[in-house]
Amino acid sequence: MTAISAASQAGRETKVRRRPLIRPNRVVIFLFLLMAAAFFAVPLYVIVVTSFKTMDQIREGQIFSLPSPWTTDAWSYAWMQACSGMNCNGVRIGFVNSLYILAPSLVLTISLSIITGYGLALWNVKWANGFLFVLFICAFVPFQIIMYPLIKITGALHIYGTTFGIAVIHSVLSMPFLTLIFRNYFKGMPPQIIAAAMIDSGSFWRIFFEIVLPMSGNIMIVVLILMITGIWNDFLVGLTFGAQDTQPMTVVLNNITVTTTGAKNYAVDMASALLTALPPLVIYFVLGRFFVQGITAGAIKG
Amino acid sequence: MTKWKSLKRLTLLLAATTLAANAWADEVVVYHTWSKPSEIAALTVLREAWAKDGHQWKDLSIAHDSGANVSLMNMITGGNPPAIFMNSDPGIYRDLNKQGLGVPLTKLFDSIGATKNFPPSVLKNITVDGEIMKAPATVHIDGMVYYNKHVAEAAGVDPKSWKSLDDLFAAFDKVKAAGYIPIAQGGDQFQKAYLLQALIASEEGPDIYNRFYGEKPDRTVIDTPEMRAALKRFRQIADHTDPGSPNRQWNDTTNLVITGKALLQIHGDWMKGEFMAAQKKLGEDFDCINIPGTKAVVVTVDSWGFLNTNNADTAKAQEDFAKLDVDPKLNADFVLKKGASPVRTDADTTNLDACNKLVLETLKDPTKQVSNPFNMADADWYRTIWQEADKYWSDPKRTDDEFVQAMQDAYDQIF
Repeated sequence: MTAISAASQAGRETKVRRRPLIRPNRVVIFLFLLMAAAFFAVPLYVIVVTSFKTMDQIREGQIFSLPSPWTTDAWSYAWMQACSGMNCNGVRIGFVNSLYILAPSLVLTISLSIITGYGLALWNVKWANGFLFVLFICAFVPFQIIMYPLIKITGALHIYGTTFGIAVIHSVLSMPFLTLIFRNYFKGMPPQIIAAAMIDSGSFWRIFFEIVLPMSGNIMIVVLILMITGIWNDFLVGLTFGAQDTQPMTVVLNNITVTTTGAKNYAVDMASALLTALPPLVIYFVLGRFFVQGITAGAIKG
Repeated sequence: MTKWKSLKRLTLLLAATTLAANAWADEVVVYHTWSKPSEIAALTVLREAWAKDGHQWKDLSIAHDSGANVSLMNMITGGNPPAIFMNSDPGIYRDLNKQGLGVPLTKLFDSIGATKNFPPSVLKNITVDGEIMKAPATVHIDGMVYYNKHVAEAAGVDPKSWKSLDDLFAAFDKVKAAGYIPIAQGGDQFQKAYLLQALIASEEGPDIYNRFYGEKPDRTVIDTPEMRAALKRFRQIADHTDPGSPNRQWNDTTNLVITGKALLQIHGDWMKGEFMAAQKKLGEDFDCINIPGTKAVVVTVDSWGFLNTNNADTAKAQEDFAKLDVDPKLNADFVLKKGASPVRTDADTTNLDACNKLVLETLKDPTKQVSNPFNMADADWYRTIWQEADKYWSDPKRTDDEFVQAMQDAYDQIF
């Protein structure tokens, strides 16, 4: 970075005699970037420092001051002891529940929608366009409208209040959107490859597993990030379909932090919130750069 | 020989699983919205006593202020409902009754002598269409004065000597001169609305209050000198609070009193939990009084409801639960942990603190109590009151005429 800018600086100096080191438009850009960074970083800063403070210090009301003394009590309390109802086992209970919800959701959603997307994009399906239109409409139906029938259906299937039930609902709700994503991605694959494969008498499944699937790495990453963050951060589905032992982490977090007539411990609230937000953050840091690649790959071809 | 052994083992295993299955069957799901240490401590009192009757508490908590009703109805729809739940909304009980799922408690409470010992406001609160449908758990007073004793001393005022709100406002000048915020008030709608209803009850009395907040309010009460006087008091308090008030939560507001920046707060008596959590001592660091010259206090009741499951074991568990909940000794222990007041006037007072005793003393007078609108008024109506109270408080230019006009318009639309 520095080497490049230094080199370009040197290059320019040979052409232009006087060039001020700090140009006004650069200053404006930096100022803007700084403000944007502060806009996101200041609340995060407050959350992080508060989680390391004692309640006595928080009561003084200086939200920007550094913790003195630093203490990790709130963190261990939030993880091990914070109460969600009378179960005082911390947010880790919800963490485990969220994992149990996440795994089957991912498998169900992706395996179903990748195949429908593949079928709709590369095979001659009767009514495909009409079907796509319906899917498109479905992607915009708010969950709240169909909540009641979904509860009835899961109740009748005896999966209401189970982790598997929550996973099924997540899959059903994200099917239309994901099918559209996969369909558009596969539509952009070179048609010659598929045509050649068909001529070589490849079957539906064989073409899928040997040609299409190996070529969908990029879009997989995009979908994975979308699904993991979406399902992890979900509150409403988990709240509605979860029961005694199956509440996801967000619902547990809500139980710990929301209070109407009880005393508040902000340090614990902040630590619990950070713990809950951690998994999606990690996913973003690990897979973030693939995300952009996948999006652009789809964009150019689609 | 080995064959026999393995068979024996298999039988044992089978027996163990059946036993385990039985243990599961006896668990009764108790659904509530509490998670704070004081609340857990209170629930533990009830759970342990109930366990002695042989019932197992299966806990389910969803903290969601407005969503608790929805969650309950979802669970009933999904076929996985809790047998016992905490809810005060009369609408829920009407819904359950319509579906044949309600469990009336009138006979039970009459037979154990509880009914006659409930204060009138509690009895009114737990009665839905002429039948007791809820088991009251706690009593809260929505507008009490909690003050910092050190600040009072430093400013040279004695809240216990105040006989009316005029005394209070007179003392406020001294407090200001000494460099303290006289009254800490929080910023969200519910805090302002609670303050207004406490003022209407304490200054104008139960009659005006009930005509304004009742199940079917009286349109003529909106434009009366009494209502305008209460609004004037409301504005007067707004003028004495600090600039940090907008958007401030009640907990943070209480902190101003705890840390000695403000003299007092008028809010629900659940404030005490914050003082306790900050290790402050009642009578030494802080103290409580009713609003000076109070004519009536607004009472909120947290209650348990029961769902008819057509299962004799569950019914027995529910009955035992209701009995324990209103037991004079046990209820006193329960509310002491929670930071509230007992639901019976004959509660065991040995362990109660001065603020609890003040509440019980106040509740002995049947003419001095009214119910929180939450537990009786039409939801659209009290929501409108909340909004208009908020507007009136936040905009110093807004006149009482405008408040009256807005409420009259709303009345015509709602009723």
